[in-house]
Amino acid sequence: MKRSLVGIFVVFAFLLAGVSFAGAAPDKIVIGHPACLSGKYAKAGEQAVGGIKACVEWVNTTYGGVQVGDKKIPLKYKYYDCESKKEVVTSLIGRLVSVDKVNVIFAPYSSGLTLRGAPVAESRRILYMDHGGASNAIFRQGFRYIVQTIGPATRYHEGTLDMIHKIAPNDKRLALAYEDSEFAKMVMEGARDHAKKLGFEIVFERTYPKGVTDLTPLLSALKVSKPDLVLGGGHFEDGQLFNRQMADLNIDVNALSLIAAATLPAFYRALTTMAEGVMGPSHWEFGVKYSAEQAKATGLPWIGPSQDQFMALFKKFTKKDMLPDYHAAEAGAQVLAYVLGVQKAGSMDSTKVRQALGELKFMSFYGGWKVDESGMQVGHSMVDVQWQDGKRVIVWPEAAKTGKACYPMPTFEEKAKDVKAIPK
Amino acid sequence: MKQTQKYFPLIPLFAAYLFMFLLAENKEGMWQLMSMLLFYCALGQAFNVFMGMTGYVDFGYVAFMGVGTYGMALSITRLVQYEFLGAWILVIGFGLAMAMSTLLSMAVGAVALRLRGAYFAIATIGVNEGFRFLIEGARIWNGSEGMIFTADLNKILGRETAAALCTYWADIMVLAIAALAGFVSLVYMRSKIGYALTALREDEDAAKVMGINVTKFKIIAFITSACLAGLLGATAWALKTPYVFPPEVFDIHYTIEAIIIVMLGGAGTLLGPLVGGLVYGISKYYLSIFLPGFQLLIFAPVILVIIVLFPEGIVGMLKAKTKGTGMERFVI
Repeated sequence: MKRSLVGIFVVFAFLLAGVSFAGAAPDKIVIGHPACLSGKYAKAGEQAVGGIKACVEWVNTTYGGVQVGDKKIPLKYKYYDCESKKEVVTSLIGRLVSVDKVNVIFAPYSSGLTLRGAPVAESRRILYMDHGGASNAIFRQGFRYIVQTIGPATRYHEGTLDMIHKIAPNDKRLALAYEDSEFAKMVMEGARDHAKKLGFEIVFERTYPKGVTDLTPLLSALKVSKPDLVLGGGHFEDGQLFNRQMADLNIDVNALSLIAAATLPAFYRALTTMAEGVMGPSHWEFGVKYSAEQAKATGLPWIGPSQDQFMALFKKFTKKDMLPDYHAAEAGAQVLAYVLGVQKAGSMDSTKVRQALGELKFMSFYGGWKVDESGMQVGHSMVDVQWQDGKRVIVWPEAAKTGKACYPMPTFEEKAKDVKAIPK
Repeated sequence: MKQTQKYFPLIPLFAAYLFMFLLAENKEGMWQLMSMLLFYCALGQAFNVFMGMTGYVDFGYVAFMGVGTYGMALSITRLVQYEFLGAWILVIGFGLAMAMSTLLSMAVGAVALRLRGAYFAIATIGVNEGFRFLIEGARIWNGSEGMIFTADLNKILGRETAAALCTYWADIMVLAIAALAGFVSLVYMRSKIGYALTALREDEDAAKVMGINVTKFKIIAFITSACLAGLLGATAWALKTPYVFPPEVFDIHYTIEAIIIVMLGGAGTLLGPLVGGLVYGISKYYLSIFLPGFQLLIFAPVILVIIVLFPEGIVGMLKAKTKGTGMERFVI
């Protein structure tokens, strides 16, 4: 009896030792994510999950895990479907933190859903990483555990304006015509401020309502102001209408950049040659030239798969023959940022990792990464895409571009005669 | 029936809410799940006051929650500069939420309640979209940009209290609204209002012939239900999530959810919205965990089967089964 009691005690002590050993050096780092796999953000959510899985796989296999002290710890990705609904987001964050004991929460897609989860993450004092909420307002609320990877809305057109300022310094007449929506307004607020800094003259500024079916009155007024370049749009439908009606009214400008519409393949399919030379900003596009060599040249540390490796892993996990878009890239880059943050902090403690992320600067296939004090992304540059001969060419920034910009773009009369946008 | 016996059905209702609260409070990781379940129960309970009792389907119901959210948001963002008001700003917010949803329900009711059945449903279907376009188009209350006011709440209450409000106290308030809506439902059921509403639900013309002022009772139920929705919007949306974007708070999806919850549990019953809210919320939650991305595909036929098997809802079926037993007075 005595012997068996001693035996039980030894086994119990051994188990306890095992538990405490496991507690001292965890065998995995868990990323939790209330993903949008259904509902209105399902497409963006599917891309994000594919991007995260691809980068988690790269970290675990190629990179060998996350270096914490003298141990390499693998990443684990735990996600549920939030249905793109705010009520579900908070309940799933609660589960991820309490039941799954995740080390970090990746926010769901969109600014609204990101905002919904932020107070819960704050109250649990867990790091909350935002790859899908572009609103600058998120970072004016005083949240302490939030860090952004997606570029903020106010920076969407900075690259476009920088590029025009560089290649045509005398073209200063700028027109802003955009959808009356929270997102478009914020984008244009940033564009307006940056344009003023660069010496552009805003000769026209007006909004149009959501779901607009006729932009003729607005565009007629815009034509009178004789702008050199036009920044506009809001969503795909109105962006397409904008371009089509500019062609109908023969409003020729040197550059036209439309948010959320011009970068999509469907935009060219709908407008064919009328889309030639039209530009659009994007967080990332497949084909960007970010590489380890570029990182070295700019003095930034490089981490992560190459673009082609990322694409191969992305296709492996999505089991679909589709290209990763910016939703996938920014979610993937967020995994890499977190890995570097943990390594820099030497710990998985959210407060320490948040602090480390505040001091972090690096480059990956997604581009640069750096946040300001509030956690807002300031190191990532948007890329500008232009339709040239039916293909999307990345024309800005220098570090990412795959071709020169066609400036000025062909007139609509030329485009009607099938003249393509070919850079001189 | 003795005066006290009238309120016996509240025992299982309040016991269920108390159990949910205690479970959430004591079991690690349950709070946010319970908060979601409470939201659905409160939504169903508030919606049931009108739809369940009258049989009228109000597709614009979410608009009352939307204006309630705006009531609280406006109070916080516009009064934050008056520091001396402190937490009274929230009290004013609740008052504003109730006043705005009541006013909207009076405006909608004045027109739509003259119609019946499908015509009423069609008349209300555009209320939420109409109100959303009014806010966006006329650019009132920040128009399409909406309002984000976490920082304002921090300023009014202090960071820690504001965080506790968003993640804890707002849920307690939702629980209180669910209980209040249940209590109001029972009071109506056990009074002249309830009898009149039951009569008009069964046959409106016959009720009229019997001398019942059906318009008056419909308006009472409509305004009560709208007022509860306004409170729910102010709490579950504005306080739990300190932001308001027009497309989110006027999303018809929430009305559809309210209809499903009431139908699942049993329209016009007291316990129906509680049971419907729990079945709906728990199924959604666990399907999203075990079958992420496929839950809606599975959920739709499940709801269809439940409604075909129990056309009176789960509580309606239980009511029939407990008839003549000691449980009868608790299950209504």
